[in-house]
Amino acid sequence: MVSTKLYTAIYAALFVSATVQVLVEFAGLSYWLAFGVILALSAAKAVLVAAYFQHLRFEPRSLTYLVGIGLAAALALTLAASYSLL
Amino acid sequence: MVTELMPAAAFPLQSGLVPRGTRAFVFERIFEVFLLLGTLVGVVVVGYMLYNAYRYRSGSGKGHVDEGNRLVLGELPSGSGGGRKLFTSFFMSMVIVVSLVSWTYLTLLYVEEGPADDESLDVEVEGYQFGWRFTYPNGHTTDGVLRVPADRPVQLTITTADVFHNFGITALRVKSDAIPGQETETWFTADEPGTYTARCYELCGVGHSYMSAEVIVMPPDEYEAWYANTTADNATANGSSADASVAASSAVAQSVAPQPSLRPAVVP
Amino acid sequence: MTDASPERDAAADGGHEVARGGDDHGHDFPGRGSIKRWFVTTNHKDVGILYVVTSLFFLVLGGVLAWLMRVQLLAPRALGEGILSPVAYNQTVSAHGLLMVFWFLSPFAFGFANYVVPLQLGAKDLAFPRLNALSYWLYLFSGILFGVSFFQGGTFSGGWTMYAPLNVPTFTPDVGASTAVLALVLFVASVTVSSVNFLTTMHRMRAEGLTLRNLPLFSWTILLTVWMMLFAFAALLAALLVLSSDRLLGTTYFAMESPAGALLWTHLFWFFGHPEVYIVFFPALGVMAEVFQTFTGRRIVGRKWFILAMVLVAIQSFAVWMHHMFLTSINLQVKTLFMITTIGISLPFDLMVFALIYTMLKGKIRFTTPFLFVFGALLLFIIGGITGVFLGAVVLDYEFRGTYWVVAHFHYVMVGGVTALVGGLYYWFPKMTGRMYDEFLGKLHFAVYFVGFNLLYFPLFVAWETPRRVFDYAPELAPWHQLATVGGFVLGLSFLIMFYNLFKSAFVGDPAPDNPWEHATTAEWAVSSPPPLENFDGTPTYRNGHLEFLDIGEVAQSEDRSGGPTGAAVSDGGVAASATTTVATALSTAEATEVEGPSHASIWPFVLSAGAFLVLLGLSSLQDAAFPEGMVGAAYATTAVAGGVVTLGSLVAMGLEPFHGPVFEEGEAWPFAGIDNGKVGMWIFLASDVVLFGGFIGAYVFTRVAFGWTGWEPIPPDPIPGLVNTYILLTSSFTVVLALVAAEKRHKWGVVTCLGATFVLGIGFLINKGLEWQHLFHEGLWLSTNVRASTFFLTTGLHAAHVIAGLLVALYLTARAWRGAYLEDSRSVEYFGLYWHFVDIVWLFLFPLFYIL
Repeated sequence: MVSTKLYTAIYAALFVSATVQVLVEFAGLSYWLAFGVILALSAAKAVLVAAYFQHLRFEPRSLTYLVGIGLAAALALTLAASYSLL
Repeated sequence: MVTELMPAAAFPLQSGLVPRGTRAFVFERIFEVFLLLGTLVGVVVVGYMLYNAYRYRSGSGKGHVDEGNRLVLGELPSGSGGGRKLFTSFFMSMVIVVSLVSWTYLTLLYVEEGPADDESLDVEVEGYQFGWRFTYPNGHTTDGVLRVPADRPVQLTITTADVFHNFGITALRVKSDAIPGQETETWFTADEPGTYTARCYELCGVGHSYMSAEVIVMPPDEYEAWYANTTADNATANGSSADASVAASSAVAQSVAPQPSLRPAVVP
Repeated sequence: MTDASPERDAAADGGHEVARGGDDHGHDFPGRGSIKRWFVTTNHKDVGILYVVTSLFFLVLGGVLAWLMRVQLLAPRALGEGILSPVAYNQTVSAHGLLMVFWFLSPFAFGFANYVVPLQLGAKDLAFPRLNALSYWLYLFSGILFGVSFFQGGTFSGGWTMYAPLNVPTFTPDVGASTAVLALVLFVASVTVSSVNFLTTMHRMRAEGLTLRNLPLFSWTILLTVWMMLFAFAALLAALLVLSSDRLLGTTYFAMESPAGALLWTHLFWFFGHPEVYIVFFPALGVMAEVFQTFTGRRIVGRKWFILAMVLVAIQSFAVWMHHMFLTSINLQVKTLFMITTIGISLPFDLMVFALIYTMLKGKIRFTTPFLFVFGALLLFIIGGITGVFLGAVVLDYEFRGTYWVVAHFHYVMVGGVTALVGGLYYWFPKMTGRMYDEFLGKLHFAVYFVGFNLLYFPLFVAWETPRRVFDYAPELAPWHQLATVGGFVLGLSFLIMFYNLFKSAFVGDPAPDNPWEHATTAEWAVSSPPPLENFDGTPTYRNGHLEFLDIGEVAQSEDRSGGPTGAAVSDGGVAASATTTVATALSTAEATEVEGPSHASIWPFVLSAGAFLVLLGLSSLQDAAFPEGMVGAAYATTAVAGGVVTLGSLVAMGLEPFHGPVFEEGEAWPFAGIDNGKVGMWIFLASDVVLFGGFIGAYVFTRVAFGWTGWEPIPPDPIPGLVNTYILLTSSFTVVLALVAAEKRHKWGVVTCLGATFVLGIGFLINKGLEWQHLFHEGLWLSTNVRASTFFLTTGLHAAHVIAGLLVALYLTARAWRGAYLEDSRSVEYFGLYWHFVDIVWLFLFPLFYIL
């Protein structure tokens, strides 16, 4: 199971990662590259919170798939709708 | 058959398989095939259903519930096999449906391709609560009446000044949504002079039932004569009694609206 | 109703459902004859009856509206002619659609689902009985709220499809239109609660040996229906909340001027709308499968392919929505894709239709009333389905759009579904009431119904060129419309036969045996009609390949019949009596833990729903985020506040109420084996919340793409306030985790401190946001300023609302922790944590999307 020490380490990683996201703006990357980096960071943070704070890493995989379906549905709608405008 | 109006760019298919011509012609061909096949399939399937329901009615002696295989209360559900017949029927219906739709897809490509730009008349259509406004290439605008020449493709660019409408001329089998902030495009060719009705096909408020316009298809020379007399931004240049009565009915439609019209009624 | 069983213990509950021993609890659960019973019951069978009866009221209401329309359509009407003015006609058309699709169809189906599914599963009730009652009362009150909307200037008049921008106050200013939208929001709340309940139950509470493969087909269809409901209705909720915000708060998502606002609505609505039509049809399909098997005496042909086909349809239903948008400005590639997926979805239906037909072969078909209706339903569905293929061919759809071809098509398939459900009503009537209906009247009903149906809807195909929602049409089509009107009255009046038959039979019909239908095989027919309160004597099991009952209850139960069955009660979210769920020990003669029996009554679902009704009623009058002037505005505001107090109070009361859910031992539970019901329920809820936020974020993304992504300036001038809030929220997630660790270590003050810290941090988040917003308002920015502001405030506002809800729970938990709770059973802290971390995760995406990019 997860020790308090690990929780603390994850918390610290999340904190740092959030700060980095803001700093990316000053890194001089092109817009879409920065976009990708920032969203990747968000996704990484989300995975850490879900896997450890919400315990999904240690629960039956079915729970992860359950939420994954919701996410897939939302993404499909957003991407298909946006694509249809182009 | 109006094949001479079709784009010179060769459509890489057998002619005859894909109906080409006016929108009405294309629609009627496809609709007829679907109706025929649909009715056939419907009759066969429903007939088969009714026949077997009758044949296997209890008391006919035809059906049987064999002792070894009786349904038992509390049994774990299972199927009774018969997969082969099921697959055959399913496969056949799949072939029919997929072929039908593939054929219509080719027709869709034809319709989406549309007529050649140099041959067609471009008209902008703007819907509003509760009428239709048409703008010709020279900038001339009419309200409630669309005049087009026969035998020449007309390309419509459609939008709305307010809510979501839909512009359709049912006799000519052309229709498209009118969406705020967007433009949709469609086309039609009318081969018979006459007067047709365009209506709104998307609920748009209290005047929806009466949101119509006249579509007057004129012999080409008459059209040219009329068009030559129109000028840009001059909406009142050519009134005729027919147009006035149409304007009156679209004014009626607008009077139904509780809120003031967004633009003053423009009489052609 | 009289009960023929001689074992009835009148002293126990005064009711009629105690036909076998072992399930009277000695507490005062009122009998079925008493009014109070129906307000407090949480039993799935009672809730099922409530749903069926209430939905039939809405059928009548929606049907009368249809009659009004059909009278209007007897002839083309010039302005001023006809019984309805254009304003009234548009409201009639819209209300007819909304009432039938939402307030009649699914609730009618779910009446049966509620009644029958737990019996088919071998469960004693649904997983969360109070939530079940809650979903019913929310449904009823949402319907009442819709009724109220007629009296607030006029109800919604933009069609059941509620297209934008007609749906915003610029074009439909009546308060009643807002109320109708809010009524639908309340209905969605009901559905979401119901889906969480059904999904948890159907996955977790199946009898041993009843794997999903072995599930009866009716239960299969309900399972797929609730899966679709979970995700589809979340998308609808996003659409409705955005619409409510546009109407009440003045945001501009759907305004005429907003980039692609009208298209945004069509995407959100139809993403829901298409799965919805299968949500509505699937239960009917399930009834058809059951009734075909029973009355042909044959098992269904190709059962596993039938199931596979249904699963495919359920998944594919989310991939076809743009076929409702073929005439919009979407590009040709996406049109082609959706044409393919649409044709794809018709194929599994072909298979299912054939499977049903082939089931008749070599059977011995009895043409009872249920079978007649279900057979007729299949026939009507075939016709409707064939005409649907026409619509899938894009070039034909180009002409059929907005015409009666569409109307006739969907009435054939949807009312075809109703036909099957009516068959289901006759089929299960003996089980539900303990009495047989009159067979002759049933057959008469079918004859009149079938004639009326086809006389009403078939002419609409012939008159297909009539535009929808229009009462001035080409005169040559009038004879067909006249035929249709006659048919409409015949169809409607046929229901009088049914109401008379069922009402009379419920009192004086012949008593029904456990199983009046030869060859019925599913578990509901193995218990009495109606079943006892707890459904089964002992525990159902299929371990030996067929249904048996294990007598654990009788072995350990003492002669004192006031004790409940052994085994620990599983808490329903109220104060738990015991945390453990014993399994195998119940089978042996181990000491019976003397716990309270399962509870069956709670008034709080009713009160909570009444409170929610009042809140939404009060809010309906908002325009541009302000109440109207004067007394009227004050009255509305007071109503909203009073409703809020009632709602919050009920939630606390429900939390504190000692309520025990049904006793069960985990049998088949794939894929959630070993995870307790509360956790599964919470995750299912969170999955739908993902779609809700997905809808909001998707709306933002879509609007921004339409606007031009890079030209869109973020609203906040700099990201610091957002970053601070990110830090705060991350820290609060950390403290929640620590609270759970403390609870598991039984460290009371650790729990209190950490939960309290979470609460304080959450308040900090809100204060920080409040300051930020105040600064923006001070700069002259408001929700309605432009669409960038609208999306910013509403999306982060929805998130803030989630934070507020979480804080209320955190406060409650902190207070209870102070009193020593959660040290033995820390599940509530764990579930709260799951929710809170979800809220945190959402912010992790909102922050960059709205502050940085």
